[in-house]
Amino acid sequence: MLDLSFESFKSSPGSGSLSIHYNSFSDYLSEAIMKIVVKNRGGANVLPDGILLSDSATVKDLKEQFHVLKPKTYPSRQRWTIPVKTEGSAGTHQKPTVLNKDDQKLSDYGIVDGSTLIFKDLGPQIGYSTVFFWEYFGPLVIYFLMYLLPTRLIYPSYDGPQTDKSLTQTLAMLYWVGHYAKRIYETFHVHRFSHATMPLFNLVKNCTYYWCFAGYVGYFVNHPLYTSPPLMQTYIALGCSLVCQLCNYKCHVILSNLRPPGSTEYVIPKGFLFNYITCPNYTVEILGWVGFTIATQTLTAGIFTLVGAGQMAQWALGKHARLKRTFNGKNGMPKYPRRWIMMPPFF
Amino acid sequence: MNVKQAYLFSYNAALCSGWAYVFIHMIMTCVTAVQSGLSLTSPTTLSLVWESVQVPLKVSQSVAIMEVLHAAFGIVRSPVMITATQVASRLWILWGIVCLVPEATTTSVVSLTSNTVFSFELSLITLLTAWCLSEMIRYGFFACKEANMQPYIMVWLRYSGFLVLYPLGVSSELAMVWLALPVIRMKKPLSIELPNPVNFSISYDVICILAVAAYLPGFPQLYGYMLKQRKKTLSSTATASDVTKKKTA
Repeated sequence: MLDLSFESFKSSPGSGSLSIHYNSFSDYLSEAIMKIVVKNRGGANVLPDGILLSDSATVKDLKEQFHVLKPKTYPSRQRWTIPVKTEGSAGTHQKPTVLNKDDQKLSDYGIVDGSTLIFKDLGPQIGYSTVFFWEYFGPLVIYFLMYLLPTRLIYPSYDGPQTDKSLTQTLAMLYWVGHYAKRIYETFHVHRFSHATMPLFNLVKNCTYYWCFAGYVGYFVNHPLYTSPPLMQTYIALGCSLVCQLCNYKCHVILSNLRPPGSTEYVIPKGFLFNYITCPNYTVEILGWVGFTIATQTLTAGIFTLVGAGQMAQWALGKHARLKRTFNGKNGMPKYPRRWIMMPPFF
Repeated sequence: MNVKQAYLFSYNAALCSGWAYVFIHMIMTCVTAVQSGLSLTSPTTLSLVWESVQVPLKVSQSVAIMEVLHAAFGIVRSPVMITATQVASRLWILWGIVCLVPEATTTSVVSLTSNTVFSFELSLITLLTAWCLSEMIRYGFFACKEANMQPYIMVWLRYSGFLVLYPLGVSSELAMVWLALPVIRMKKPLSIELPNPVNFSISYDVICILAVAAYLPGFPQLYGYMLKQRKKTLSSTATASDVTKKKTA
């Protein structure tokens, strides 16, 4: 195949207008080119000469071409929307269409020669898996080190006798480390993320949350002055937590198999606990941490559980609302069944 | 003048007077002490100052909680969170540091230099000076605004006082924390100890250090912002009556 990629047509960086991208030889032959006007949300022109693309260009082509013209803005940083028509009945607030399907043709969105597209720079991006790994790896290491390292190192102000960790403390550590090891496993082998990247700042934000709480909980459970609750309490509570973790894993597997590969369509979840609750993965996750709190009888574990539950409740509300809105029973769409959002019997 | 303006005028005028009262009493006590041969950094002077002002000080500073309510109910156009943070930090220093361990904070100084010829000490007196003057200027400015008067001197003070008073205030507050910490570590107020059934502990000294770490980085930013505001306001006002810019409380 003749190499008619933009490399051979590319002019000096920054000029913009003379780079043309062809998907294939037949595209070159048909030579239908369209020019896209690129504006930002303030209305200013982002590229003075616009972008030149083939008629059959896809969203991916658009992003790659823009990256050529603006090297710092790699494709995952780009957000493209079709401007909303401002005329029309007063008060109708239309949400602009986002070009988020990489392999969709621009023409399928109704974009033709001379169309305007709105560009937004999402800022530095980082992969979902990368963030998940680091935010889960930290707590695993931090808690483990607090358990393993000599008492005088972790608790310098403590000057009592140096004792070994109790059975409760050991069981708690195994649960904690096992939990985060499970999460890391799921990140690479179970979860299917609908977005490839997230803003870089999220790495800082998420790691701060997880790592600080790991320290805050680990400090007290592994403390030399830690008081264990009755062993039976620990056994029963951790047993329940373990069951919850297994349920949580099953929920994650169900979620990852919900959509056919590559699809980003919503599907009504079915089976197992999903028949009764919209986000049962959160339900069992929270109950698992409740079990951990009871097993260790540590206040900061309870605080960690509450804060996590609060965040998950927010996410569950959003998901529940989205599913109800999408599956509204009209236009042939099934109606979303009556289900608890996250925590029967109240929520 | 409508009800809101009358109320705000009274509020600001009252607080301005309250802080003026604190300031005048502090000055009078200092003058008396110096006349009796005491230095401004001696524990006796500082204790005398504290005794003479502690009640009006506590009242004037605590009443500032009203400003959070003013912002929350929209009586004043200030962001609630920012007002709440400012009032909270003042109340923490007053009640959580100075009043909590007065044996340390109202009797000692922090020397900034080891030079015996020229030295500067941070103490209760520098704290009160910074607080009183900045509050008098602030409340005076707002009282005038509610009375639809904006004499240039008030504007100038409002936008220039901070240049000295803000660093003086922040460093005095830090000095108070510095003086208080050893006593807090010893006496352990507001703290929970291990072991206990819920395996929880709180050390007030750690909280103090975290509080300082939280508000210290904001200082350069805030100072820079106020410098910008000063340039903007003072360069555009050649005459008094033109100032109508909205400022946060």
